[in-house]
Amino acid sequence: MAGQVVTARIGTLWDNRRILSLLVTRDLKVKYADSVLGYLWSILEPLAMAGVYWFVFTKLMTRQVGSDPYIVFLLCGMLPWQWASAVLRSSMKALSKDSKLVRSTNLPREIWVLRTVGSKFAEFLYALPVLALFAFLTRAELSWWVVFTPLAMLLEGMLLIGSGLLLAPLAVLYGDVERLMRIVLRLLFYFSPIIYGLNDVISGKRHLGFLAHFYILNPFAGILDLYRTAFFPEDFAGWTPVAVAAVISIGFLVAGIVVFRRLEGTVLKEI
Amino acid sequence: MFSGDSAPVSKPGAKGKGGKFWALRDVSFTVQPGEAVGLVGGNGQGKSTLLKLIAGVLLPDEGGVAVHGGVAPLIEVTGGFMGDLTARDNIWLTAGLHGLSKAEIGRRFDDIVDFAEVGDFLDTPFRHFSSGMKVRLGFSVITTLDEPIVLVDEVLAVGDRAFREKCYKRMDDLLSGGKTLFLVSHNEGDLRRFCTRGLYLRAGSLAADGPLEDALAQYREDTGHRRSQPQ
Repeated sequence: MAGQVVTARIGTLWDNRRILSLLVTRDLKVKYADSVLGYLWSILEPLAMAGVYWFVFTKLMTRQVGSDPYIVFLLCGMLPWQWASAVLRSSMKALSKDSKLVRSTNLPREIWVLRTVGSKFAEFLYALPVLALFAFLTRAELSWWVVFTPLAMLLEGMLLIGSGLLLAPLAVLYGDVERLMRIVLRLLFYFSPIIYGLNDVISGKRHLGFLAHFYILNPFAGILDLYRTAFFPEDFAGWTPVAVAAVISIGFLVAGIVVFRRLEGTVLKEI
Repeated sequence: MFSGDSAPVSKPGAKGKGGKFWALRDVSFTVQPGEAVGLVGGNGQGKSTLLKLIAGVLLPDEGGVAVHGGVAPLIEVTGGFMGDLTARDNIWLTAGLHGLSKAEIGRRFDDIVDFAEVGDFLDTPFRHFSSGMKVRLGFSVITTLDEPIVLVDEVLAVGDRAFREKCYKRMDDLLSGGKTLFLVSHNEGDLRRFCTRGLYLRAGSLAADGPLEDALAQYREDTGHRRSQPQ
């Protein structure tokens, strides 16, 4: 039953892929049309964050986590995380922000979430040159593991579409969702391998015991670790966290499609 | 072309103490291709809800709506436009969102602009448009969509006299081209001009379905009756 719903929805969405690309293009146009600094704005936040952590961890404190060059290590986690946090934040407004458009077009409503995931993904890609620049400056070498980056993107994409489909209708119906997510996002940032590596958690050096097993239940653990192998293959914590992340991401995707479908009618009356 | 099988929509909390309010209930009818249907009824009786169900932008809680063919909805016509983008960008985007391909938009672009009379402002951000210009552009884009079913919700009431004449002309063209029309209006003249069949909605149910004059007559009778009651 759920399987049929899922495949049917994916089919309709595929028919509307041209409209989806139109919406993403529009978002990018709006974002970059008006301001001269448009592009700079999109990379300013990850850059500033990375700068702060780089300063704290390499200049102030003796860093015991991560690898060198640390700025590249950081950006490898920071940029994909930025995609995730941007999607999780704005998918809660995906239906209400353009409510007039949602109310006047008979498109499959999931498209408003996919559009958010897509636009933020484009911004993520646009920010990659920053990583390339620092890799060049610090002479970090790209490894052949970079072939797995698209897999990491696919897993993250499924996870974000799933969570977006859950968050978008729930945020319309319950005002608490946004407040709750603000806390969840902050926690997720520190509980994901961004300023440190997954190996630092699960290698056993720190005697975290069963906590390490719980840790990989966070799908971002496996996903961010896989991204990072592009520059730091020797830090790879193995395929188990990635497999766990894949299962959880698919779970989120299916749950998202089903829940969105259930709440769609109610949400349309509310916006 | 179109059939509604007792398609109710509830609006929770809109009326009554915690109970459900049904915006529409037990409304069943079938419309053939090429028919021009006027929706008659007072404010808050379910006319716009019915149009939105046909447009597919609301989903029924019970029953179903079957629409066989594309719908051009003249509902919130300016809703799809982005204030920050120019009129030109907005035409491409909105027409695209309603399913026109790039080639089709390219072919119809000049028509859209001419009809809306915004030729001199194509590169002006949409937010600088006057409300009249906004509606003209919206009307122009949606009526160019070439869908077999056209839904009109009161848009004819806006715009100056000259533009209203153009709208009437465009509507006549659409009807003689065999389109199916749904018109919501409080203006009996508009309803008489375009519609042959009337659906009279009263408190969310279908009070009359027949020739437009009959629906109008019953509506008039009901409101007259209500007025004569001591309040």
